[in-house]
Amino acid sequence: MSRFPIFCLVIFFLNISLQAKSEVIKITYWPSSNPQEIELAANIVDKWNKIHPDIQVVMQPLPSGQSSEEVLLTAVAAKTTPDVCSNIWPGIVEEFAEANAIIALNKFNDFYDIVNPRIPEDVLMNFASNDGHYYQMPWKGNPIMMEYNVRLFREAGIVEPPSTYKKFMEAADKLTRDTDGDGLVDQWAGVINVNPVWWHRFFDFYAMYIAASGGRTLFKEGEVDFDNEYAVGVFRFLQKGFKKGYFPKGMLQGNQFLLENIAIQFAGPWDIGFLKIHAPPDFEYDYAPLPVPEGTEEPILTYSDPKNIVIFSTTKHPEEAWEFVKFLISKENDLKLLEFTSQIPFRKDLDTDPVYEEYFKENPMVLKFAKQIPYTRGSDNITQLKEVFDVIAQSFEYSVIYGMQEPKIAIEEAAETCRRILRR
Amino acid sequence: MRKALFYILLSLIAITFIYPFIWMTSASLRPEREISELSPISRNFSFRSYITVFNRIPIGRAFLNSLFVTCSITISVLFLSSMIGYALSRLHFRGRELIFMVILFTMMIPFQITMIPLYVLMVKLRWIDSYQALIVPYMINAFGILLFRQYFKAFPQSIIDAARMDGCSDFGILYKIIWPNSIPALVTVGILIFMQTWNEVLWPLIVIRKTSIMTMPQMVALYAVGGQAESQIGPQLASAMMLALPIVIVYTIFQRHFIASMAHTGIKG
Amino acid sequence: MKRLNGYDVDRVGYLMVLPYIVFFLLFNAYPIIFSFILVFHKWNIISPMKFLGLENFRFLLQDPLFWKSIRNTLVFLVIHIPLQLIVALVIANILNQKIAARGFFRASFFLPVVISGVVITILWQQFYSYETGLFNTILMKIGLDKIPWLISTKLAMPSIAVMATWKNVGLYIVLFLAGLQSIPSSLYEAADVDGATGVQKFFHITIPMLNPTIIMVLIISTLGGFSLFIEPYVMTGGGPINSTLSCVLYIYKQAFYFNHMGYAATLGFAVAFIIMIVVIIQRKLFETEVYE
Repeated sequence: MSRFPIFCLVIFFLNISLQAKSEVIKITYWPSSNPQEIELAANIVDKWNKIHPDIQVVMQPLPSGQSSEEVLLTAVAAKTTPDVCSNIWPGIVEEFAEANAIIALNKFNDFYDIVNPRIPEDVLMNFASNDGHYYQMPWKGNPIMMEYNVRLFREAGIVEPPSTYKKFMEAADKLTRDTDGDGLVDQWAGVINVNPVWWHRFFDFYAMYIAASGGRTLFKEGEVDFDNEYAVGVFRFLQKGFKKGYFPKGMLQGNQFLLENIAIQFAGPWDIGFLKIHAPPDFEYDYAPLPVPEGTEEPILTYSDPKNIVIFSTTKHPEEAWEFVKFLISKENDLKLLEFTSQIPFRKDLDTDPVYEEYFKENPMVLKFAKQIPYTRGSDNITQLKEVFDVIAQSFEYSVIYGMQEPKIAIEEAAETCRRILRR
Repeated sequence: MRKALFYILLSLIAITFIYPFIWMTSASLRPEREISELSPISRNFSFRSYITVFNRIPIGRAFLNSLFVTCSITISVLFLSSMIGYALSRLHFRGRELIFMVILFTMMIPFQITMIPLYVLMVKLRWIDSYQALIVPYMINAFGILLFRQYFKAFPQSIIDAARMDGCSDFGILYKIIWPNSIPALVTVGILIFMQTWNEVLWPLIVIRKTSIMTMPQMVALYAVGGQAESQIGPQLASAMMLALPIVIVYTIFQRHFIASMAHTGIKG
Repeated sequence: MKRLNGYDVDRVGYLMVLPYIVFFLLFNAYPIIFSFILVFHKWNIISPMKFLGLENFRFLLQDPLFWKSIRNTLVFLVIHIPLQLIVALVIANILNQKIAARGFFRASFFLPVVISGVVITILWQQFYSYETGLFNTILMKIGLDKIPWLISTKLAMPSIAVMATWKNVGLYIVLFLAGLQSIPSSLYEAADVDGATGVQKFFHITIPMLNPTIIMVLIISTLGGFSLFIEPYVMTGGGPINSTLSCVLYIYKQAFYFNHMGYAATLGFAVAFIIMIVVIIQRKLFETEVYE
């Protein structure tokens, strides 16, 4: 008989401890597998867990491997998605939204209060889905700019970075040379990745198209919109570059920009960290906006190469997940993003807010990108975006790299093929 | 005279087949800038390329993965296919010939048709990025069953009868009598499956995304495709060397059996 | 039905083949049926399937890339098959003579067969490299122009075909050797009596007697050609301008880059169908009866 009270006590305490456990909410968060981003994530998660003992975030980097989109797709299919993921390329957001795999963030009451002060309106609108909702929180970008070797420019007598196609051609002519007299060109003005992989085109064709057209993307209201003079202009510009031999036709070994065999490349801020470590002390380089056709109005826009945050619909704690997302994009954590990865948060006040002043004093190169980020575009929210870019990449290979097709016809045909794809 | 001509011709041809590998070996052991040179031996011996590979990709892990997967599949196929081949050749039961027809039929189905649904199955079973996805769909091999069945058909019935009279069960017959006396068949099938599995690269590319589970050919293929190697030929060749080495070693030892096994693929039942 | 020791022989048989039944249902039957269903739908794995009727077929018939991939494969086969038939036959014949160190020669030809296609591809990618490749370096040293092996749309697939021949010819040499050794020497002796020359013996005895082996080699290489994947995947990515896009590579892209599972399934069946037709044509054209 005396065992009974003890028995009750045990049950009572068990119950309490179980209750206590079930009161701690667990959120799973998947950052990218990039080592700097993992460091950043660890830092942020750590801070969060200290502030919120009742909402614990568990971080799991995406498995490093082929492509994070495939990993996420499989996770969605198997319903093993995390609560929050911060490595979302906007190109897959539409597919996920249609499959009801992610939740609409603008359904949270304070969505616009958070988002509007942070992001310029036209940049934000670019990320809206076809049904008008926002399924992604714009997080960070790597705006594509023109990176150039200052010393090579100086030696070639080029005073300022070329801002138009015409000026670029003139400069390129001076920069492409045979430096060791063996009859073969070994210094080129620029470089375009000749691999026909679709996503390379984001960094040349698409970025320049956005710049030339003053912010247009490939589609408008779900219809093909790129069969215009700007796309043709970009094709013609780059085709000429190849025809005249300003860009090397074959794949070369090693980092040619670092080796100073290439004067110009089109890149995001990712090179800054790399060059800090690997470049010799007398290596001089700088960034400028992309070249555009004559008469294009300022400011010059570019492609933002964005990665955004989503909350998956498998989450059991949407409110808490949303709190974490807000934390991820807070001022302090945006500063950490800059410090750890030198990638640019989607903020319009980076160059004015004193919080970031110190950082940019020490990293003036990154400041150029920070100034560019309010003037960027992402990609369209079309489910077949990859296929569209594949078509463009093939057209690009045929017309621009191999010079076998008139740019006007190439763009027309590519546009027609894309229309057919969308109709399926 | 004619013979001499033959020898010269054969030697030239043999060189065509062996020299590329010699070149590859020496190219992987030179500093980067000398790689396109023709000379088979370089004075500047360097392990640089190999070190780069080890730093960039977990190739040792990939090797172990390949070893694990290949051995598992080979053992499983030897075990199961021989058992099934025995049942189809020496046991009598209804539906035996039907099953045999079905096996023949499945051998004619090209992978192009099955690879997509198999992938979907792996997704639904949540086997993506797991060893099961690499091993289970290959645990039984139709061709292996065929070879075993053919081999066992010729097995002298008297020995089996004697074992039965001693009270041996059919499983016992399989392990104690058939297997020990079928070494050639086991070796033939074993080598075929080992080689095929070790070199398999399309299936891992489809179901494995996590670097820690990737097989060696898969990892080397991805390394060479682009980006990671930054078009650096030395490390690419070094990684290819490491991929080739295990099979070359096994081949040099078991060379005659390899060739005999492959010749068997020509002999249809 | 034998029954010894009261044993029911039947049941053990069922037990032994049971693993196969399970295996077959799961990894053979289910995939084929599911693949067939997919053909009539649009599916990207994460959303529900959408019924399309015959839409996938219609798209396939008008899909220039599909027909390009078939054409590319045929280009590959047209070069690969004759090349290796001739080379393998010749070498096998030479090896069939009483040659010392035959084992060594045979082993050296066979070496590329066992090595992974990935290794071969990486190696030959370097050979074919336009700026720094071994072949072009040799050409330049003897004063000739560089050849755009993998950069030209006309040469890329043939280059891959040559590489594939080099890799696989060892297997066919071995097969032909086995076939040659099974030709009764009495046939040759009879021909000698009739005063036949070497060439006549070759074309009137050897080739006809090897017919089954030749057909088999044809079928194996055809299947191999239609399964070409890792070589274009690593070497050219399907380019330049889709001239090395193989059937399987195209299916892979459609399924795993663009998530068009239904269309990929359709492509799979279409390719299987074409393989069947090609094999039937080959047998009709080349199969002769072998007289004992």
